[in-house]
Amino acid sequence: MNFYLTAVLLGLGFSAMGMGIFISMRIFNIPDITTDGSFTLGGAVTAIMLTNDQPLLIVLPCVFIAGATAGAITAFIHTRLKVNALLSGILVMTALYSVNLAIMGRSNIPLINTFSIFNTTSGSEIQSQLIVLTLFTGIIFILLSWLLKTDFGLAMRATGNNETMIRSMGVNTSLMKITGLALANGLTAISGFLIVQIQGFSDIGMGIGIVILGLGSVMIGEITMKVFRINNIALHLLGVIAGTIIFRLILAFALSTGIDALYLKLVVSLFVLLIVSIPNLKRSE
Amino acid sequence: MNFRILFLFSLVFLASCSQPEKKTIPVIGFLDLLQDETLEQAKTGFFDALKAEGFDENKKNIEVIYRNAQGDQPALIQSCDYILSKNPDLIATNPTLSTITAIQKSKTVPVFMMVSPRPDLAGLTDKNGKAPGNLFGVYETLDYIDTSIALIRKIFPSAKKIGTIYNQSEPQSVDALNEITNECASLGFDLIAMPVNSSSETQLVVQSLLNKKIDAFFALPDNVVFASMEIIVNSCDKQNVPVFTSEEGLVKRGALAAFGADMYQWGYQSGKQAALFLQNKTVDGLFPEIVKYRRKVYNPEKAAIYHVTFDSSFVSVKK
Repeated sequence: MNFYLTAVLLGLGFSAMGMGIFISMRIFNIPDITTDGSFTLGGAVTAIMLTNDQPLLIVLPCVFIAGATAGAITAFIHTRLKVNALLSGILVMTALYSVNLAIMGRSNIPLINTFSIFNTTSGSEIQSQLIVLTLFTGIIFILLSWLLKTDFGLAMRATGNNETMIRSMGVNTSLMKITGLALANGLTAISGFLIVQIQGFSDIGMGIGIVILGLGSVMIGEITMKVFRINNIALHLLGVIAGTIIFRLILAFALSTGIDALYLKLVVSLFVLLIVSIPNLKRSE
Repeated sequence: MNFRILFLFSLVFLASCSQPEKKTIPVIGFLDLLQDETLEQAKTGFFDALKAEGFDENKKNIEVIYRNAQGDQPALIQSCDYILSKNPDLIATNPTLSTITAIQKSKTVPVFMMVSPRPDLAGLTDKNGKAPGNLFGVYETLDYIDTSIALIRKIFPSAKKIGTIYNQSEPQSVDALNEITNECASLGFDLIAMPVNSSSETQLVVQSLLNKKIDAFFALPDNVVFASMEIIVNSCDKQNVPVFTSEEGLVKRGALAAFGADMYQWGYQSGKQAALFLQNKTVDGLFPEIVKYRRKVYNPEKAAIYHVTFDSSFVSVKK
């Protein structure tokens, strides 16, 4: 049972990134490849600051600002230099690979005897992980769902829905995209911050393919919300969190079936397909 | 609609239902990072060593839990979590990233590493330079590199320019590069090193090295070279540039000569240690040890192509 709990914990760690992808993908309709880089960026900043004994209260804002800067650069390239959104993300992600290597100084930093966010509570390792990650995800969820309901949040959502219309109402849509992607990548970096502390090391390859995982989680979350026929932004975010956890649980299940390692990824895909196709199967009858 | 919700939840519930069985025989976890021909040799060596000591999964006196993360880091963490959830007696790890993961996830279960660098090179030692108490198995240092480079001088005395590629994303690859740089400087070679980050870039980078008219290519054994050795050998052979390396398996795959560890023997040595632990049921007297089995090898086919002969201190290896 503990094994599935660790999968849930990992899912909670990834949920900030899921919410970030939700903003870029669902609100702005931009599949933001920067995620791969900003996730590792968050991890790299965390690892280097923690091994240099910096307090968490300084590390966390730094991680967020680093990720947000990456996102803002992508959005700037896209909106001001008029480069295709997908390409902007790819460019920044590729550049971040070098940046991350430079930050870490080497490609892998294990966190040995460093203070981590999970040392802040008492109890066993798994208990403190559960408490801290739930609190963390909860706070991000509450802040984000509040933000998306403010005037600013509504303008941001409207930018994604109908850019021409919202521009005619006097909103600077470029600025909206820049803030939005900055926020999204800041959240992604926070995921990197959490995951590095869960796994106990940061590695230059930790972000590879993470954007796929995030997109998948957002979709899975949407499907689950569809089942409940819900159309509320806060509950959508909840669906995203559920999505990242379900994704981890599916992999956990695939691992526990003892399937030949060769077919691991195939099995994961089939399970995801199974889950996302259930609601639609019923509908088409 | 209720049916669908029920189905979703029952899937999650089913997934969480499997209970760990009561164990009567030793459980051995094996954590692999990716699918790779060379890493496979170490794994084979590990289990062959266990077999030689009488521990055989087919004889039902050990239970093996093998998990391969297929190169995906979150999957590596979860694979490690899964193995730990089965209360293993020991975890074998292959290569470095698996070792780091297992060490960070468990402070008690003995970890037997292979294809990993010395603990301090992997960054696994604490501030006093002590390795984790549950880390065992076999590591490699960088000393072998010096001898491998010296081979080039011995076999091609006229060689001047040496090309190499290294993987920026592997600490041991970058460490090895520093070692090569020093050794080349002291032997009077010009070294041209270029970074690669994935096996898809290898061909392009090797080609651009060849355009700089290198006299020999040194393939330092990292994951990118392991994954793309054939394309390196192919490109170099076309330009008549011999490939040197420091791993026996890579000579079988087309390099001219090498001095270094053999992956199979590396795994075997680690497996021997694991078998000792299973027999004595204690880790007393065990500690991480350096890879014992290094030798000079050459590939006879390539030797014929490049018209070089090797003395009897070299062992000929074929596919």
